[in-house]
Amino acid sequence: MQRRSPYPYWFLLPAGTIFAVFFLVPTVASFYFSLTYWDPFEARFAGFENYQQFFSEPFLARGVMNTLIFAVLTSGLKTVLGLLLAVLLTSGLLGQSLLRSVVFFPVLVSTIGVGLLFQELMHPTEGAINVALEAVGIDGPGWLTNPSLALVSVALVDVWRGVGLATLIYIAGLATISPDYYEAARIDGATRWQQFWRVTVPLVRPATTTVIILSLIGGLRLFDLIWAMTRGGPGFASDVLASVIYKQYQAGFWGLSTAGNVILFLLIALLIVPLALHLNRREADL
Amino acid sequence: MSDVVLKGLRKSFGALEVIKGVDLHVASGEFCVFVGPSGCGKSTLLRMISGLEEQTSGMIEIGGRDVSRAEPKDRGIAMVFQSYALYPHLTVRENIGFGLSLARRPKAEIAEKVAEVARVLQLEDYLDRKPKALSGGQRQRVAIGRSIIRDPQVFLFDEPLSNLDAALRAQMRIELTELHARLGTTMIYVTHDQVEAMTMADKIVVLNGGRIEQVGAPMDLYDNPATPFVAGFIGSPKMNLYEGETARALGAGSVYGIRPEHVTLSESGGLWTGTVRHVERLGADSIIHIEATGLGPLVARVEGHRAFAPGQIVHASPIDGREVRY
Repeated sequence: MQRRSPYPYWFLLPAGTIFAVFFLVPTVASFYFSLTYWDPFEARFAGFENYQQFFSEPFLARGVMNTLIFAVLTSGLKTVLGLLLAVLLTSGLLGQSLLRSVVFFPVLVSTIGVGLLFQELMHPTEGAINVALEAVGIDGPGWLTNPSLALVSVALVDVWRGVGLATLIYIAGLATISPDYYEAARIDGATRWQQFWRVTVPLVRPATTTVIILSLIGGLRLFDLIWAMTRGGPGFASDVLASVIYKQYQAGFWGLSTAGNVILFLLIALLIVPLALHLNRREADL
Repeated sequence: MSDVVLKGLRKSFGALEVIKGVDLHVASGEFCVFVGPSGCGKSTLLRMISGLEEQTSGMIEIGGRDVSRAEPKDRGIAMVFQSYALYPHLTVRENIGFGLSLARRPKAEIAEKVAEVARVLQLEDYLDRKPKALSGGQRQRVAIGRSIIRDPQVFLFDEPLSNLDAALRAQMRIELTELHARLGTTMIYVTHDQVEAMTMADKIVVLNGGRIEQVGAPMDLYDNPATPFVAGFIGSPKMNLYEGETARALGAGSVYGIRPEHVTLSESGGLWTGTVRHVERLGADSIIHIEATGLGPLVARVEGHRAFAPGQIVHASPIDGREVRY
């Protein structure tokens, strides 16, 4: 057997170097630094003290719960709305291409911009949303000031911002379904609803898997939108893991915040890897 | 009673008219094949009968009932697609029972009917498999099973064998013909393959450019093609056709035709003289391509593999009474 030439591996070197310097080394380093008290000048080994302290944070449990609620809520809504919008935008609607651009447009806007914009729109007294509600006689809630509503409000904005991408993925998925399936179903007497539920939904599953995984990861590690809109407030009502970590970093507890990041990384891996395996296995049945 | 009657059927896509007035009567229980080159409108015609495509004008009757504006499910038809359209996420059992489960029939009834269809089509061993674990011929049978279970008045087939290899196609032709004999249901079958048309049909409808060229039994079309198009389309190898001065010299108005199997070859004496260009030996017979003086290319079919060689001078004659003249 001929020995494989090392020649092709040289081509891996540039990309490999960049990947190692900017991803592998920091990742491994962060595992180490999470076990230390560190600042730019020195790192003192501390064992698992950072982790102990992180888990004893009074608002940590709230932060983890909020993270999970946020991720599941946004992922679920993006999946359902994305599919419905994609079906609508591939149904031969008038002005379909224009509407597709409109739906996708928020994806292109900076998250901070979106956050600031909705902070204004959701202002309890002067925001356009409540002003509009008032005009029809409804007393609008304090979207971002009501502790039991703040997280949900941010989640809805995240869905508005991200549903365009989900829709795009679904439109691509729908395009792969042969029209024969729908025609065969029509001959069998399938109603519109049955065609959707028994043909579209199962056959578009590869796209569903992609949307669920991408939006769950995005939801679990979301930081920028929360920070721009509520900074985790009011109080700690809308704090998620990422904002808790950032607050610790701001307060100068660098080792502690690094430990928080490692925990977030492990949480995402623990949730996403089995889910992805499960969804992909079912997909392979197709 | 499951006659299919088409009256003045037309179909336009925008300014383009693809079906230009079709009148046809398919008798109850008949195996009717629509055949023609690609783009002749045969699939469109089938889709109009199924209701998947709406006609621009004209009328469709199935079993004595005007179904021109009826939904596909209300026409008493079942259709087998070229792609089979089997749902990849469902098992064979679920695929066959799909229509009944849409109609919310009781589970026991579905199971019973699926078992019956599986028995007829010898699919009993595959009921729990997904379509991807089946061979082409088995998928074909599942697609047929999904049609049979609806107990339709009319079966529609849209080029159902074109995804199969030659050997399987020959086998499925026989299976379909036997199935037709067993069920006795009206079947309308679209193909571009004139061999399928000739071997399976009770009645062939030759379509060309959105119009019917000729309707008849296979041997009718073979022996008495009504137009030069039918003459050229039915039969393999193709009929030798000559136009203009050559045709007139042979006593035809505009077109003269003679089938390869109706040309006799000899080494001395014949109507035409020519040089052998190429010989295709098929075993049971041979196809001889000749360049004939004053005639042009001439193809002859002779039994066995008689010793004709390229470059050889041969004499050819048409068999009396087998020529066609237009």
